[in-house]
Amino acid sequence: MNPFSALFRRFVFIDNPSPIVKQLPTTLAFLGAIIIVAAVPDVSVTNSSAAVAGVLGMAFATLLAVAFTASTPLTRLALILPFIDLLAIGLFRVGTGGTQSLFGGLIILPVVWIANQPERRYIVLAGLGTALALSMPFTFGGALLQGPSDWLRFTITPIVFSVAAAIINEMSRQAAGRVRSINELAEERDVMLRGAVDYAERLSDNEDRLRAADRLTRSVLDAVTEQSVIGADVTGLIDVWNPGAEKMLGLRAAQTQGRRYMHEFHVEQELLARSAELNYPPGETVLNPGFSALVETARLGKAEVRQWTYVRADGSTLTVEVAVTRRVDDQGSTVGYIFVATDVTQALEVSRLKDEFVGLISHELRTPLSSILGYLELMRDDEENPLSEEQVQYLGVAERNAHRLLRLVGDLLFTAQVGSSTFSLDTTVLEIGPIVRASVESASLNAAAAGVELSVNVPDSTISVLGDAQRLGQACDNLISNAIKFTPRGGRVSVDVAVVDSRVVLTFTDTGMGIPEDELDQLFARFFRASTATRAAVPGVGLGLSITKAIIVAHHGELDVESEVGVGTAFIVRLPLNAPVAV
Amino acid sequence: MTDAPTQLTVVVADDDEDIRSLIVIAVRKAKLTLLADLPEGVAALAAIREHKPDIVLLDVNMPGLTGLEVASAIRAEPELASSLVFILSASVDDTAVAAGFAAGADAYMTKPFSPNTLAAQLTALIASSAAGPNAGLPVPPAP
Repeated sequence: MNPFSALFRRFVFIDNPSPIVKQLPTTLAFLGAIIIVAAVPDVSVTNSSAAVAGVLGMAFATLLAVAFTASTPLTRLALILPFIDLLAIGLFRVGTGGTQSLFGGLIILPVVWIANQPERRYIVLAGLGTALALSMPFTFGGALLQGPSDWLRFTITPIVFSVAAAIINEMSRQAAGRVRSINELAEERDVMLRGAVDYAERLSDNEDRLRAADRLTRSVLDAVTEQSVIGADVTGLIDVWNPGAEKMLGLRAAQTQGRRYMHEFHVEQELLARSAELNYPPGETVLNPGFSALVETARLGKAEVRQWTYVRADGSTLTVEVAVTRRVDDQGSTVGYIFVATDVTQALEVSRLKDEFVGLISHELRTPLSSILGYLELMRDDEENPLSEEQVQYLGVAERNAHRLLRLVGDLLFTAQVGSSTFSLDTTVLEIGPIVRASVESASLNAAAAGVELSVNVPDSTISVLGDAQRLGQACDNLISNAIKFTPRGGRVSVDVAVVDSRVVLTFTDTGMGIPEDELDQLFARFFRASTATRAAVPGVGLGLSITKAIIVAHHGELDVESEVGVGTAFIVRLPLNAPVAV
Repeated sequence: MTDAPTQLTVVVADDDEDIRSLIVIAVRKAKLTLLADLPEGVAALAAIREHKPDIVLLDVNMPGLTGLEVASAIRAEPELASSLVFILSASVDDTAVAAGFAAGADAYMTKPFSPNTLAAQLTALIASSAAGPNAGLPVPPAP
């Protein structure tokens, strides 16, 4: 607000003028009366004391008005001013002719002021004030009521002034109401204006943020050049196509966005096979042929990473690992999907070569092992040249280590077979109890040598599974052998067999050193060794558990682990039950 | 290396000299007559054609001709129809075993092997062959 405006508001203030503004008309009119008395010969002072008192009263009222205007706290006392004015005018009337004075009309000005107040009681006060001023020639001037005309003037005039005051009061109230309404509307307008300005500012901020987020998203998408990031709506129509997708599939964004469908870049046979896995009726298409097969898992809100074959624009193919995620709107409804694909062709080839190499090496290692073990056997069996006891003992060490090497070679070869998917099972219906017992029995010597108590708990009932007896035996051997290896002397290893929820559950529990929690998820990875195992220098290469897991998974089973460092470990094998338990 | 002839004769082919010697010992333990032991496939096939042995012991991976190729060649020649083919291989997977039998092997044993067990298997093969053409030997599991 500028200074002039502030000054104007302070002194004038349209809906509530300052005391001096209200006082000024009366003062000016009074000055006019003084000038008339001084200048007009027929108008003279009849009572100089009263006239002077009236002038002083008016001056006093004017000075008070100035003071009240200057001091805001005193402004509320301003209403005494019109009453002082009435007294001053009444005295001036006494001094300029009494009942015959020309200046009775001045009374209207303070009456207007009083009547202008919002409450109706001021109408009465205005009437009383008028009566007071009009009565002063009789009360202070010595005049006498001389006839009906004086009585009428004395009584009717205050009533007329009161009626005028009532009209003014009503008009003032109405005007004040209108001013209030206007003020309220103005305030509402100001509030709305401020709201609109705030909203516009927020909108602008949001637009800036959205533009920044959009730039960030685009720069991230553009930076991903080795992975394709493709977005599609719920029908599979592509709406996002990053440079990685352009590089991987040989098409530009303009050629695909809004023009091509996601499943068009897949091999139809793979989509049909996946549809069959998901039990879609033949030929049924939920949205678009093949697209449902691509997004079914993501549609249910789960993350999925699956290997697929992408078909490039030139018709060539590449193997990719695709992570599919759902896009949702503010209400959580699915609006599309994002497909992030990594080319794994080279990784698969490297893996294949690695497995081939491991297979070749393990194959080549078996030949020298044949010589070692064969000739050791010949030495032991040579009846013509029997060995001394000490030599037999040395031979035993050599044989034991040769067999250890042979097991390692076998594990390597098996790992390579699992990696290259050439691992097969000789599946029959078999009883799990004897397999477990045989594994425990074959490990009992090792357990005794290690000072570990080994126990087995197999129900008497027949528990059958569909599986490969040799491989399941290998899995049990691995788990029992591990448990013994990782359990200190004096500890316990137990193997329990049970049927829970139509599944055969084998639990291998030890009181060994345990496995740190943050290593549990890597435990079944090839060549992984727990830190507790390496610290304790427990021999091994980290293949046993990965092989065991592969065997169990190949039997459509699960292998879980629960462990606490310093307390022990439990490996839990769950296999599908082949037949009801015969009690 | 040749022994005094007995009733049943054997030709051995393996490129590893130590293994070959081990096989020869097993042959002796089985009381068979060794006609020739050779380090590669071509020479082995020539010796087999020349001697027409009762039993041929073949390694799979050999220079010249592989054991499987030699076995196939034997089965392709009617004159060698009576020769029994025993394959010894370091390959333990089912595919390799199946390939051995597909090439015409009568028995298949994986390395490493026990000389005593090989001798026993050779004896069993001879017995089973004498019992009839359809009597086969079970493949011993890989150690």
